[in-house]
Amino acid sequence: MMFSTEPRRAKAVFNVLRGRRTVSTLFAGLTYDCLSALDSWHGVPMEKFLASLQELLTAGDLATPMEGYVQLTTAGAAHKEQLQATLYQPVAFRAFQTIDVRRFTAISALALQVASQAVHHQNRYYPLTTDPGIQAIVKQWFRRQTVAHLGEQLHTELTTFLQSLPAPLPTVFVASISGFENPGQTDQQLATQLDKTPLEILVMRKDLACRWCLWLETQPQSCLATLLQPLVKSNPVTPSAWQTYQTVQQGLTVEQVAIQRRLKLSTVREHLLEVAILVPTFPYTQVLTPARVQTLTEIFADQPVVANWRFEQVQTVAPEMDFFWFRLFQIMRCQTNAA
Amino acid sequence: MQREQIYQLLKQKYGFDEFRPGQYEVISQLLAGQDVLAVLPTGTGKSLIYQLVGTIMPGLVVVVSPLISLMQDQVARLNYQGEKQVAALTSQLSFGTRQQVLRHLNAYKFLFVSPEMLKQPEVLAAVQATPIALFVVDEAHCISTWGPDFRPDYLALGQLREQLQPQRTLMLTATATTQVRQDILAQLRLPAAQQVVYSANRPNIYLGVAAVANEDEKRQMLQQLVVTVKGPTIVYFSSKRQTDLIAEWLQSTTGLRVAGYHAGLSGEDRFKIQQQFMAGQLDVICATSAFGMGIDKADIRLVIHYHLPTSLADYVQEIGRAGRDGGQSLAVLLYAPGDEQLVRNLNDLTSASANEITQAFQLYQQNITPHDDLGQVLQFYWEHDYTVEQVTKIFEKRQRGKNDELRQLLAYVQAEGCRRAVLLAHFDEPAPTHTNECCQLKGDSLPVAALNLQAPLRAQTPPNPAWESILDQLFLQNS
Repeated sequence: MMFSTEPRRAKAVFNVLRGRRTVSTLFAGLTYDCLSALDSWHGVPMEKFLASLQELLTAGDLATPMEGYVQLTTAGAAHKEQLQATLYQPVAFRAFQTIDVRRFTAISALALQVASQAVHHQNRYYPLTTDPGIQAIVKQWFRRQTVAHLGEQLHTELTTFLQSLPAPLPTVFVASISGFENPGQTDQQLATQLDKTPLEILVMRKDLACRWCLWLETQPQSCLATLLQPLVKSNPVTPSAWQTYQTVQQGLTVEQVAIQRRLKLSTVREHLLEVAILVPTFPYTQVLTPARVQTLTEIFADQPVVANWRFEQVQTVAPEMDFFWFRLFQIMRCQTNAA
Repeated sequence: MQREQIYQLLKQKYGFDEFRPGQYEVISQLLAGQDVLAVLPTGTGKSLIYQLVGTIMPGLVVVVSPLISLMQDQVARLNYQGEKQVAALTSQLSFGTRQQVLRHLNAYKFLFVSPEMLKQPEVLAAVQATPIALFVVDEAHCISTWGPDFRPDYLALGQLREQLQPQRTLMLTATATTQVRQDILAQLRLPAAQQVVYSANRPNIYLGVAAVANEDEKRQMLQQLVVTVKGPTIVYFSSKRQTDLIAEWLQSTTGLRVAGYHAGLSGEDRFKIQQQFMAGQLDVICATSAFGMGIDKADIRLVIHYHLPTSLADYVQEIGRAGRDGGQSLAVLLYAPGDEQLVRNLNDLTSASANEITQAFQLYQQNITPHDDLGQVLQFYWEHDYTVEQVTKIFEKRQRGKNDELRQLLAYVQAEGCRRAVLLAHFDEPAPTHTNECCQLKGDSLPVAALNLQAPLRAQTPPNPAWESILDQLFLQNS
């Protein structure tokens, strides 16, 4: 699903999936149009990724046009299209960029278990997780709830959320909950029940977790809102890059920002590239300056495929121009093309 | 503390009137100031011993445990019993949580930790700064069986224990030969510790061995057993892959509710499968041998070994999960000619020739960090100033030990006479009188009916309820 008939750098795709936030990974994600999958397979080991890649290569779905790059074959493209039509396609993975979905999933799973057991006045049960950090958060949360209403409130909220989802997502969501007299089902068991593969169930559950987080963000009155809130960032950018960006917005030049923030110029530039890739409202013209925009526009006037641009082309025309300006301009074009 | 007070505490805290065999003896010796090595069969309630002593004595109870999954199960069980001040310090905790636990060790009563984690300077310093009531080495046989060539940090426990200066030390295991017991005491530097040793014999578990000609026949035999013998059932495998494959095959061919259970599962899946099994929602669990140590289910009727275990001690421990309620149960070991090769292959994984050991030492001298498992195991020895000759001897001794264990296991499988006698002889116990309820003699069929272990007619599994009604059951009180 992550490849196309154009060559893509396999390692960059892997780094997008596991959420490595270097500018080169983010830029690859932008040009490959797969930034929405950023961090969606956090922690997946390289060996597993390589093994899957090898399987696709052996099956003839992928080919390696040059070392380190892979692209879909005609058969692979047809196969992808067919799978896209038949397999569940995630729609909310963007939540991984601004919400710690994985931690919320772990915390909320315990919260739901604690609530369900409390509704049935059961205080002897095996907790879903023994992580002392998560237990402490849920304990604190639970103390602030009114147990008499908690069950009904959760029931109402979850029903509203689940009714907004297509089948079989509500079944997958509810069957995964562990609670009173209900240990919940594993992906394997749900796969058998719904005649799907465990991997497809896993994708559904990841997407459900994202959908639920995004839904809860719009429900500040929810009894689970306080558990989600500390895990939400206002933007997808790292805090330090965001601080740099805010300083730039005050009208300072890149050099001035470096001095004020006591950072290396290269770090400030990396920060700005990160923000440009992840924040669509980035003030390109202010940072790039109209003169540079004009020079670069002229250089690449007859090259519509942004990913194919080479910095050497800039160097021959404007040798004084830094790589940073070229990359920023490239990002700007990718964003406008996407828009 | 007086005997009556201890019994009162047992009643008040756990709701029991009586201790299980061995529990009181160990508790009273610990309270009298002794260090104790306790060999108590699976299902005796070994954790109750340190829980109760921990309640009585001020200070932290440090439990050294070999597996993350086992620690998590133990913490969950203590939580279940109402103990709140419990934590397992594992590599799965986030950095922040781990720091939090270490900074507030005084707030905990029970700390579960692996030998590798305990030796980390930061962890050791924090634990050292906390008064320790009891230092528990759970699954203490690991010192002898895993220490030399797999988890060498088990060999450093003696030194760590001395650094921690606990008031008492308790070494717990379900099975240990005389040799293993000696190893444990020597390694922990506690030659004067009291030994409380109970018989490895579990008379309510009938011992069977099904010799089959090949893999196909083995599968058929397995299928026949799980269908015709009363469950709940655990089937043990030595490979993760087989566990999943056969679980799926059994489920689709028998209509039984079957799940695979092994180290590859997520914590969440492990939790769900364990809880389903405990709640009677699964008929059969297909598990790898290292797992399932935490399964706390009293009415398991059938334990089948699809592959050979690595030793008779492991076998006794694994079949010991059957019949904890005292009811008649059955253990069947499936054996096809050549099965022992799989055990040999596993043993070879941790073996090392004199040449390999010498090479590893040379790399160490050149300050090259080893990346393979063997290199990392050997690193321990070099860091503790062992010579190549000493290490070679240790590895040779362990391999000889493993070969002996395999030979004794095969003697059990191929026994012409009473198998239980062979099994107990391994633990230096006298032969029991052989009866019809004891074990399957070569050539006999399994007396399933005579043992009253025929599978009852199974009701059809009801269809899965709609999500709305599951949600009702979860969160509405009178649904």
